[in-house]
Amino acid sequence: MAGSGISRREVLAGIAAGAASGMFGSLSSAKAAVSEMVWATWDSNGHPEYIAAFEAQTGVKVKLSYLSSEDAQFAALKTGTASDWDMINPSLNGSWRYIKAGLLEEIDMAKIPNAAKMYDVFKTTPKVLDASGKQFAVPYLWGLNPIVYRKDKFESEPDYTTLFNEKYKGQLAMRDYALESIAIAGLVAGVPRDKVFLMETKELAEAKKLLVAQKPLLRTYWQTIGDLTNLFATGEVSCAFSWRVPYDTLKDKLAMGMAKPKAGIMGWCDCFAMPATLSAEKSEIGYKFIDYLLGAEFATQIAKIGNYATTSSIIRDELSKEQQEAIFVDDMDVMKSFMWPVAPENYSEWLKIWNEVKAS
Amino acid sequence: MALVFHRAQLAVPVACMLILGCVLPLAVLVVFSVFEVDLDAFTLVPAFSGQSWVQMFTNPVFAFLIGKAVVSGAGTAMLAGFIGYPIAVSMTRLPVLWKGVGSIVLLTPLYTGEIVRIYAWRVVLGSEGLVNAALKWFGVIDEPLKFLLFSPFTTHLVLLYNNLPFMVLAIWISAELIDKRLIEAARDLGARPIDAFFKVILPLTTPGLAVGVFTVFALAAGDMMTPSLLGGTSGATPMAMIDNLFGTAFDWPLASALSLSLLVILFAFATGFVTILLRFDGARAVFRRGAL
Repeated sequence: MAGSGISRREVLAGIAAGAASGMFGSLSSAKAAVSEMVWATWDSNGHPEYIAAFEAQTGVKVKLSYLSSEDAQFAALKTGTASDWDMINPSLNGSWRYIKAGLLEEIDMAKIPNAAKMYDVFKTTPKVLDASGKQFAVPYLWGLNPIVYRKDKFESEPDYTTLFNEKYKGQLAMRDYALESIAIAGLVAGVPRDKVFLMETKELAEAKKLLVAQKPLLRTYWQTIGDLTNLFATGEVSCAFSWRVPYDTLKDKLAMGMAKPKAGIMGWCDCFAMPATLSAEKSEIGYKFIDYLLGAEFATQIAKIGNYATTSSIIRDELSKEQQEAIFVDDMDVMKSFMWPVAPENYSEWLKIWNEVKAS
Repeated sequence: MALVFHRAQLAVPVACMLILGCVLPLAVLVVFSVFEVDLDAFTLVPAFSGQSWVQMFTNPVFAFLIGKAVVSGAGTAMLAGFIGYPIAVSMTRLPVLWKGVGSIVLLTPLYTGEIVRIYAWRVVLGSEGLVNAALKWFGVIDEPLKFLLFSPFTTHLVLLYNNLPFMVLAIWISAELIDKRLIEAARDLGARPIDAFFKVILPLTTPGLAVGVFTVFALAAGDMMTPSLLGGTSGATPMAMIDNLFGTAFDWPLASALSLSLLVILFAFATGFVTILLRFDGARAVFRRGAL
């Protein structure tokens, strides 16, 4: 073999190098080709049909991971138990917590062409910026949380006091969520809507009293919107502080109503964001996805099926007056009566009260 | 040199798993329970603080929830014992084939997922569910019985249903091991069937009863899904509180203190129940293979 000019050691080294290059080559190509992204979002935002077009266009499968609460989402990111999430769903008013904790990747709005069509109120909001003006989240969907009720069981449109009325004992439900439930009790106790998320110890004690008194009147606390829809469908609950999903799902089968209490309407706005630890390859797909969320296909699908409006005006003028009314984009002034739930500085006190109410 | 192999060495892998999977996490909980939380930075701060333990002992909510879990677990175990015992003893009298069928039937509910069972119970017990519809149809009631769903009754009915197989299986195996000649001897010596039961069968099945009580108590006291989704507003549990504190509230020290307190108290009660049962002569006879 010496005459051939290649020693056994060189042959072995060549095989090893070839194997190594093959192995690392396939690894790097696997890393470059992102085939799946995990999107942590609400079950009402992430129906498979909403994102089918994106999957067809990009060949990237969007795996849905449904959230139970904003707090749980934050905690999962903070504690590292959500390491498989590639795209997340902070609320507009809760984004500051994620930004402050350094959990989000900075967003380059120049990479999102459809952002140009966003309504100004969402495009210019400072709530998604850090102190130096860098952007970390993009508002993409908004709406309001009404009281949903059975019209055949209520003579007049309910308001928040209805949820505390002995007359309706056994027909009511509240969400198992400290922020909104305590805020509603605060409104019933007479706290003005612009102060309700700033309640201090004395006002919180009043709210707690109301919630403890309310407890025997409730059929149950609802955990997920699917759970509440089921409770309406099976006749367990006739009136609840809700999302609009039970109304839309059941309005053709039952006499469903949707009330927007004058005391203050709970508005909501969901944002798209990416965890700070996301790889560059996945970030690129993330940018394509948020551009899709602000585009016409997602807006059309979610307006028709979910009755939600995106933060983009891209399809507004193509909708009928009725369709615009259904998703509240016929008159954008509706937002002036909104209360935007925001986790207060003393939120741990709120959580403590909520735990005490439930254990009472 | 030939290796000497003792049977006790078979327990080494399990002991290692226990240390890694149980003792170490518990040690971590002890450490976390004295840490502090910086809610501004959302971080756990290493410290030697008794703050969370002070809250544990001064806020009555925690004692109430742990007490509720103990009562719930003990009540379920007691009911499962009363209901499961006759079933288990009856199974010993079945032909071999039917024993197999009986054990499969007994375990069938466990093959379905917990969430499936929960929604099935809602269909059965709901205001417009099967039970209320049947009672209305027979003219027994005019209005649906609301307490059937979303009440402590529902929680305990379902806890009993879910955990009964564990009680029956434990007693059944214990009853199968009884030497039938002892029962025959008792009868030959003039014992009535009831005396033979109380003086022979019951004492010799106390080890099985003790295992059943220990298992059902632990499973029922530690359940979170059933009370949460079927107990309505009465469904608060220490487990749900721990979940809330670890997740939503980011209060890991308090969550750790509550977890440890719950563990110690449940373990103390379970050990107490089992110790009492195993002090009966029959249990001692089983363990000493006949000698009292």
